[in-house]
Amino acid sequence: MAGQTDHSLSIFSAAEVEFIAEDEMIEIVPNIRMDALNLLCGDFGPFLPQIPCTVPLWLAVALKKRGKCSIRTPDWMSVEKLTQVLEAERESPREFQPLPFHYVEISRLLLDHAHDDIPEVYMVRSLIEDIRNVRFHKVESGLETISGRTHAVKLKNLSAMEVNVVRPFMARVLQAFYKHDSPEMVQQADTSASKRPQVVDRGPRVSLSCVTC
Amino acid sequence: MGRLLKLREAHKTDAPATCSVLWAHDGSHLATSCASDTEVLIHDLSAPPPGRSGSTAGSSPVVLRHHKEGVTAIALGPTAGPLASGSFDHSVKLYNFPVGSFQGNVTRFTLPIKSLAFNKSGSLLAAAGDDDGIKLISTIDLTISRVLKGHRGPVTGLSFDPKHDYLASIDSFGTVIYWELSTGKQLHTLKSIAPNYNSDSSVLNTLSWRPDGEMLAVPGLRNDVVMYDRDTGEKLFNLRGDHEKSVCSFCWSPNGKYLATSGLDKQVLIWDVDLKQDIERQKFEERICGLSWKPVGNSLAVIDVVGRFGIWDNPVPVSMKSPTEGVVLNEPHSLFEDEDEEEVLGKGISCYSGSLDDSIEKGSGDFSPISRKRVKKRGPSFDEGEEVLQEIDSRKRRKESENKRGDGEIRERAVRMQDAFQVGFTPPQQGKRRFLCYNLLGCVTSLENDGFSHVEVDFHDTGRGPRVPSMTDYFGFTMAALNEKGCVLANPCKGEKNMSTLMYRPFGSWANNSEWSMRFELEEVKVVALGKNWVAAVTSHNFLRIFTESGLQMHILSVNGPVVAAAGSGDLLAVVTHASDCLSSGDQVLEIKVFNINEATQTISGRLPLTPCSHLTWLGFSEDGRLGSFDSKGNLRVYSDQFGGSWLPVFSADKARKSEDENYWIVGFNATKLFCIVCKSPESYPSVMPKPVLTILEFSSPLASSDLGADEVENEFMMTNLQLSEIRKKIKDMEAFGLDVTALDDEAFSLEVKLDRCILKLIASCCHSDRLVRATELARLLSTQKSLKGAITIVTASKLPILQEKFSTILEERMLDDLKTPEPIPTGRSNGKTAYSVQPPVRLSPMMEKSPDLNNRTPNTIKPQIKSSPATETLKLVKARYSTPENLAQGEDISKERELGSKLEKLATFVKGKGNATSEVTGKDVSSSATGNVKPELKFPINPFARVKKAT
Repeated sequence: MAGQTDHSLSIFSAAEVEFIAEDEMIEIVPNIRMDALNLLCGDFGPFLPQIPCTVPLWLAVALKKRGKCSIRTPDWMSVEKLTQVLEAERESPREFQPLPFHYVEISRLLLDHAHDDIPEVYMVRSLIEDIRNVRFHKVESGLETISGRTHAVKLKNLSAMEVNVVRPFMARVLQAFYKHDSPEMVQQADTSASKRPQVVDRGPRVSLSCVTC
Repeated sequence: MGRLLKLREAHKTDAPATCSVLWAHDGSHLATSCASDTEVLIHDLSAPPPGRSGSTAGSSPVVLRHHKEGVTAIALGPTAGPLASGSFDHSVKLYNFPVGSFQGNVTRFTLPIKSLAFNKSGSLLAAAGDDDGIKLISTIDLTISRVLKGHRGPVTGLSFDPKHDYLASIDSFGTVIYWELSTGKQLHTLKSIAPNYNSDSSVLNTLSWRPDGEMLAVPGLRNDVVMYDRDTGEKLFNLRGDHEKSVCSFCWSPNGKYLATSGLDKQVLIWDVDLKQDIERQKFEERICGLSWKPVGNSLAVIDVVGRFGIWDNPVPVSMKSPTEGVVLNEPHSLFEDEDEEEVLGKGISCYSGSLDDSIEKGSGDFSPISRKRVKKRGPSFDEGEEVLQEIDSRKRRKESENKRGDGEIRERAVRMQDAFQVGFTPPQQGKRRFLCYNLLGCVTSLENDGFSHVEVDFHDTGRGPRVPSMTDYFGFTMAALNEKGCVLANPCKGEKNMSTLMYRPFGSWANNSEWSMRFELEEVKVVALGKNWVAAVTSHNFLRIFTESGLQMHILSVNGPVVAAAGSGDLLAVVTHASDCLSSGDQVLEIKVFNINEATQTISGRLPLTPCSHLTWLGFSEDGRLGSFDSKGNLRVYSDQFGGSWLPVFSADKARKSEDENYWIVGFNATKLFCIVCKSPESYPSVMPKPVLTILEFSSPLASSDLGADEVENEFMMTNLQLSEIRKKIKDMEAFGLDVTALDDEAFSLEVKLDRCILKLIASCCHSDRLVRATELARLLSTQKSLKGAITIVTASKLPILQEKFSTILEERMLDDLKTPEPIPTGRSNGKTAYSVQPPVRLSPMMEKSPDLNNRTPNTIKPQIKSSPATETLKLVKARYSTPENLAQGEDISKERELGSKLEKLATFVKGKGNATSEVTGKDVSSSATGNVKPELKFPINPFARVKKAT
């Protein structure tokens, strides 16, 4: 993909993830009368004043910037829901609460461009910040538990941004473990790079050495 | 609540002793006692305290010194009943409350009293202590009616079941006994379920029924409170939380929703019993041994073991339900007469007793002043202070008048003729902006502020609508109407000085000062409406006044009765008036007239139908000029020319409502949809801020639930039919004016296709549920032969040869009908039905004859007797189609025909491209193929209902 970042395994930059998230649909309340837009990605509208309609986020933001609509905050972005999610996140250290796949990006975009449409915007902002921190922390602490016996990691309800952050590391770690687990690979590595005994060491040290080599 | 509650000393003690606190039923007095003090104190809270208000009582309390030793227990009778006290001196005494005069000794025990309780009606007093046995004393003649023996230790807690079936008692060993009051038997004995305080006399076990009597709260062994079932005595659940030591005392909130508990750990917790969670807590210096909820309001009185008491204001957070909200009161008591149940009728808190007629609508709006009718006091009375009696009396009075009021109001409301209202207004709310007018275009809002208001006009379409500067309104406008060109405002007359005024503000004008206003002397504007170049106002004199846009007084008409509402759009003005008083059933009799202002004609006149016992809430025109009305029961009716002009119900809020608490505040409608603002109950009006968002709801006919199980399709069928008839009417109208109807034709055509698709679906479901006759009827309604063929395919696929045959016959008939042209076409067929022979032969445009492509469409199911070359047959078909008398009747002219001809040509090529698509077998496929196929016959204006008649 064009504009790719350094790593071969890190697929997207944050801005790119945000770009993808702009295709998510969101409800707006236009304050103009406009015919339907026939776009490549679909037909949107017709837009009638004060009658809500659903459009992609990028279009919503574009209209909002021109003062042509107000964006309706999605349900999950209410203080009430976010508080619930945050509590649940804190209570269950091993699970992630279901949130929209692009919640980080959507909330970011809305907070940037449509802050006047969000009720209790400061509260929402800080709650989302908290949720994000809690979840990232969970991801990080979850990574610590990966060992040589791990063949796959199952993470439900992980969001795009979170996946994007851990993906390069995770994939390489698992690869490395896999490599060291299969004897012939280990032998190869052994002959080529190190003189370590053939004991399969499953500690993080191995993964580190592998990542570096 | 972190701050410490300030306690005030009431009783002096040397060592910790059990103290009690009780509220008077009206919350004005507080009684306290202490086991190491011989006095009972009555604190008057209503007197203005010298110091801080609220937390402690101010003026010096009434002191009752009748006991010789410490008072261990006090109890208060119902409503304004007597106060009882029990003491270490083995006696139980009664006092008047809150006066404090001594009434007498009730009974004497051989050992100290530990617990007292009145039953709900106040007729029985239970007393118990270290003696063997609980004494039940009748308060009327102070005789011992029963002694309940069964406890092995000192009885420390007593509680009468609010439903007066049971008495529960607890002893210091922690054993609870349920007694049946009627027999005096032990029903359940629950041993050692509460902490054992036998060694510690300073702590008394206690127990308490929830005010509704459904459960009994008993302190548990694990620092909790355990709830036991009323009848079975089984454990229900427990409230366990942050008490670190055993719970020693608790008190139910008057509504039973909350429980205040105090523990040996010196904490007081407030529990939400439904959630089983503590919601508030407070730590005290000393152990709290007595708790009492204020019967009215949100306060808790507490008293600690050293004899200090205090009032905790708002123990239940203000955000939550009040502890007295929805107080359930039951069981009329015997002392006072039946109706006069005890009730907690507090300041500003609406509490109603349960046995009042349920149908009475309570608390609905502004009541008439309470009647001061004196109600005779009946029943045995206590020899009590006059105050008490007066209180009872006044309470009775209040209730009776309430009773009457409730009853009367319902009747009154049902038969009342509704007042005039402005469409799209919301009622004024204190300090809040409100709508004077809200429609699909924009809104006029007003905010009252120090005697005058600010009126603002906003258009929803900020891109196109004109910007209107806000206006300061010295008149106090309450009515407004808005359209693209201007807005009209009016105010009712308020006394002599403030006359009713009508003001019109154009939004754009080439001249300055084109705003104008009219004043009305001794007349009041009731409703206003706005249309194209005119302004209308209906007044209290039943005048309909029409002004031009510039303020010229054009017409003054008299309307038939008091006006209800008016709406304008374009040239049309609709006015609804009362035709007569309400019917005895409560239905209003409304009349509607629609005027065409420019032509000075009346287009519609008749009754306005309403749902029974409802009132009109909205009236207006859709964008395409259809008239609709919406009533308070949530039904939208649209005027239609069908059946000589009638109102069709097209929407019902009951059906559309997703949840119970939604109210639809209608704003407008179009051909198929309703625009409204959804208000969450109890709100039935939208508020200006935040800006309301319109919701679109689909029309739905109030169809009976049929055996087909295809409600949606049936609804679609109805609606499409309706739309089609509307469009046809419009085409006819426009044709009469010689206007271009191409666009409408196209629309009608696509509707016909939609209708056919719908009918095919219905046929499929008819076949499915074996309704063959109905399927045949539906098939007759199909407007195109192609659809008919589709129908045949459906029945073939459903393996219904009878229907297949029927349908083929219909198709055949249809084709024969088509062939029955007035001009005998040389086909050799003559069935003697040449009824249309007057038809002039030349009605065809030359273009039509040039459409041999239509041959492809000649149906293959057609019977062989039609023997003619495909080309001539098509020609005949086409000829026949456009020379039927129906067409003639419509005054179809040549230009129209030419246009149709060209369209036919287009269609023919299209059909050719399509080929024959009858090979699909499933209903779905067929229906889709039916829609894809476009036919010349579709131009034939078909009245589906006429077809039905023919079929039957």
